[in-house]
Amino acid sequence: MRPRAAHAGPVVWMGVIAATCLLLVVFRAVLWLVVPFLAALVIYYGLRPLAGRLVYAGLSIETAANVVSGTFILALAVALTLLFPRLTANAVQWQESVNRYLDAGTGLLEQTLSSLEARYAVLQKVQAAASVRAQVEGLTDDFAQRHAGEFVMGLVTWLPSLLLAPFLAFFFLRDGRRFKRFLGRAVPNAYFERTLYLLHELDRTAHSYFQGLLKLTVLDAAALALGLAALGMSAPVTLGLLTAVLAWVPYVGSILGCAVVVLVAAADFPNDPAIAYGTVALFILVRMLDDFFFMPMTIGRSLRIHPMLSVVMIFVGGALAGVAGLMLVLPVLGVAMVVGETLGRVVTDPRLRARHAHARRLRSRQAALDLAG
Amino acid sequence: MFAGFMRQAETPRRWRRLAGVRIFCDLKPRELRIVDGLLHERGYIAGEVIFDEGEEGQALYIVLEGRVLICRQGDPESGRIAELGAGEFFGDLALLDDAPRAAQARALEACRLAVFFRADFMSLLDTHAAIASRVSLRLARYIGERLRGMNRKVLGAAT
Repeated sequence: MRPRAAHAGPVVWMGVIAATCLLLVVFRAVLWLVVPFLAALVIYYGLRPLAGRLVYAGLSIETAANVVSGTFILALAVALTLLFPRLTANAVQWQESVNRYLDAGTGLLEQTLSSLEARYAVLQKVQAAASVRAQVEGLTDDFAQRHAGEFVMGLVTWLPSLLLAPFLAFFFLRDGRRFKRFLGRAVPNAYFERTLYLLHELDRTAHSYFQGLLKLTVLDAAALALGLAALGMSAPVTLGLLTAVLAWVPYVGSILGCAVVVLVAAADFPNDPAIAYGTVALFILVRMLDDFFFMPMTIGRSLRIHPMLSVVMIFVGGALAGVAGLMLVLPVLGVAMVVGETLGRVVTDPRLRARHAHARRLRSRQAALDLAG
Repeated sequence: MFAGFMRQAETPRRWRRLAGVRIFCDLKPRELRIVDGLLHERGYIAGEVIFDEGEEGQALYIVLEGRVLICRQGDPESGRIAELGAGEFFGDLALLDDAPRAAQARALEACRLAVFFRADFMSLLDTHAAIASRVSLRLARYIGERLRGMNRKVLGAAT
């Protein structure tokens, strides 16, 4: 009996990490395509169970894909049609709101530093509140006016490519299985079973990751919304959902989400800084729930990446490809890991290589049968 | 290049062949089409190894054309176990788990095989439980028959 293939060694792992870094650099250059592709994957894995139910009910894969994607695109179109006039009508008000939130945040910071100065002489001596105020004022003065143009331009640039996402998701739903068979046909017989296994594992990894991400977002949004409602904040569901989506960017997203909610709290309750401190405490609590309960229940088990490697790679991703790198590094590493481990086993298996060489010899001998003599 | 991707691999001719395969004989034409959508078709040349003994099994193979030899590893002459023709299948235990293959499979002549991958069978259990249960029942009966045959052989040898 042939022994089972050994697990991937350090060379394969170095290859996996190098490939992940290279892919991140490439993805940064074609971000306009990567972002809709990623959004399409999220939509695809979100809609796939629904399409599966329709197939189970007796529809063909094509019809199920048409029905599910059509309903999703229609719902999206209706939502955008309803939302767009409201957004444009309130654009000026939004600009004012951003300035109001930034002013409130600056006020909260000053208030906190002043109370700290009153307690600690060291801070009073270095005039911490005054120096921080000067720096923050430089950053926040006319923030909305300065960045509104950039924001609108960014939206106009990204909207067409983001609109690609539902259409890509439709084709993934309709032709995914056919594409898998198409890829399988390109693989030599000797490697066929292992390659099918690789494709299945890739699909399983991506499916677990993206469905886990969606579940994590719902759990995070629900926990934050409940906490914010308990603190008496306005629009707790919107804020919870916004911060849960921002948390898709590891570390930076959570900090940004926390900052947004603290600014809203400071603006809504200018005379009660305890509410703003309460939102910070809520964020720390939800972060801990995330790390110890939600993450292991949803994404954690899908990628099977060592926590230390995850943390190191998040920093590497950030350094190589900025915010996009932070977001993409874990799914890319997960996929590279499955591909690398399986390819490592296939390529280093001498028996499979020998079988492939034998098949090639047989084929060339057969092709040359009537050419002899 | 993408013409092959867009082309529908399933054909009525293959459905008719599959209808004659023992584990699919209870399926209605519509159900057979669903199963056919999950199968991969491969071509092997005479003498080519399909899988080795001890290899991790991932799929069941159905002979569509040609003949296949099941034998002891590297011993196609004296280690012959069975010869299979069109409509027969082998590697069936791989549909249940990834245990090592019990024997080697080789193409005796140029043949075309339909390959049923375990992961696709598992997804069939989720999406089309009725179809998957009919296939499972047929498979269980086939394995049971084989087991009874082996028991008879062992008892015959003992007496």
